[in-house]
Amino acid sequence: MAVEAAVENGWVDAFRRASDEDAELQAHGRYYSCAFLLDMEEHQYLVKMHAGKVEEILVDPGPLDDRYQFIIRASAETWRGFGQETPPPMHHGIFAAAFRTDLSLEGDLLVLMQNLRCVVRQIELLRVTGVPV
Amino acid sequence: MAHFSPVTGRYVTIDVMGDECKVFFLENGTGQPLVCQHTAGCHNHQWRDLLEDEEITQNYRVIAYDLVRHGKSDPPKNREWWKEEYRLTTDYYTAFITAFCDALELEDPIFTGSSFGGQVALQLALRHPDRFAGVIPVEASDYSPGFFLDWWQHPHANAAQVCASGVWDLMAPQSPDRDRWDTWFYYTQGSEAFRGDLYFYSVDHDLRGRLGEIDAEKCPVVIMNAEYDYLTTPEEGRQTAEQIEGAEFIEMEGIGHFPMSENYPVFKEYLQQALQKIDSKLGARAG
Repeated sequence: MAVEAAVENGWVDAFRRASDEDAELQAHGRYYSCAFLLDMEEHQYLVKMHAGKVEEILVDPGPLDDRYQFIIRASAETWRGFGQETPPPMHHGIFAAAFRTDLSLEGDLLVLMQNLRCVVRQIELLRVTGVPV
Repeated sequence: MAHFSPVTGRYVTIDVMGDECKVFFLENGTGQPLVCQHTAGCHNHQWRDLLEDEEITQNYRVIAYDLVRHGKSDPPKNREWWKEEYRLTTDYYTAFITAFCDALELEDPIFTGSSFGGQVALQLALRHPDRFAGVIPVEASDYSPGFFLDWWQHPHANAAQVCASGVWDLMAPQSPDRDRWDTWFYYTQGSEAFRGDLYFYSVDHDLRGRLGEIDAEKCPVVIMNAEYDYLTTPEEGRQTAEQIEGAEFIEMEGIGHFPMSENYPVFKEYLQQALQKIDSKLGARAG
């Protein structure tokens, strides 16, 4: 999926909407402020969160376009598992996938841990929006 | 009109390698004792549905205790435990369980537990095959490295949420939300014990090369691992069972690492299979 397609196909808007309207994120995300990169092999998505809301999602950002604190990196194939309504085993969460697939957690993992509940929930929203690869 | 559960709770004080442990346990039912261990950093409410299951409790006395430092079982009463780092060892853990069973004067109990409860079930079969009529290690393997981590207690993160959300995807996405969230809720309560429990789980429990010493003819062993468990996969459970003479293995589909707590109706079917296998072995032996 090209950069334009990711936007045109509506994933960015869908993911933003799913996040901003999610009851759990909105009930518990008051301090959910951080930026992370979803590296899906074929494309990258820099998700910037502020106080539980999506501030911005950059598609295939340039090397110096913006900063982020951690990366969730996996092959497109692994991410496609996350995008299924009922994910297959080991594609049902970032810890499961980190232990058993090619998914890696990189960067400042303390920030990930500080926001773990919200990150885990937000990644599950890919089951609703699908994945843009 | 008020609805009262048939489950009752009591305390019993036991000696565990010199530690005075006041242990809280829940129980219901009559028949052969079925002793249930919760998972690391958790407590006996994980067994809430089994404890109230009339079909099971008409034949089994289901007993679910809180390990010392968990739930309503306080840390040792006679030791300044706050001056030490908590690290659960195999010696202590198995001594606790046998002391508890002795205190209740349990005859021919079956022991079951999941995760670090499954691993200690294997240890009991190895160390105390004469004390138990059988064991059902759930989510078990000879070795389970990688979870003795400082993240569970890191002062710069919310330990309650790190523990609870850190184990979230040990559960299957198909399991009911309410039960997964109850399990999550329990995990927000045990972060201080969780890391120390995992010393046993990921470090001290290491039966690689020793599974052949377990005699499943003397103490029947039925291992059950679940499809969505990323720490101890069904394949690892199967391989573990294959190295124990006489052990059996059941793969649990569509469920995860906390099966009794995340989706009891699914777990119950597998548990009944395991109990039947043990019953058959004991019956054949008696015959």
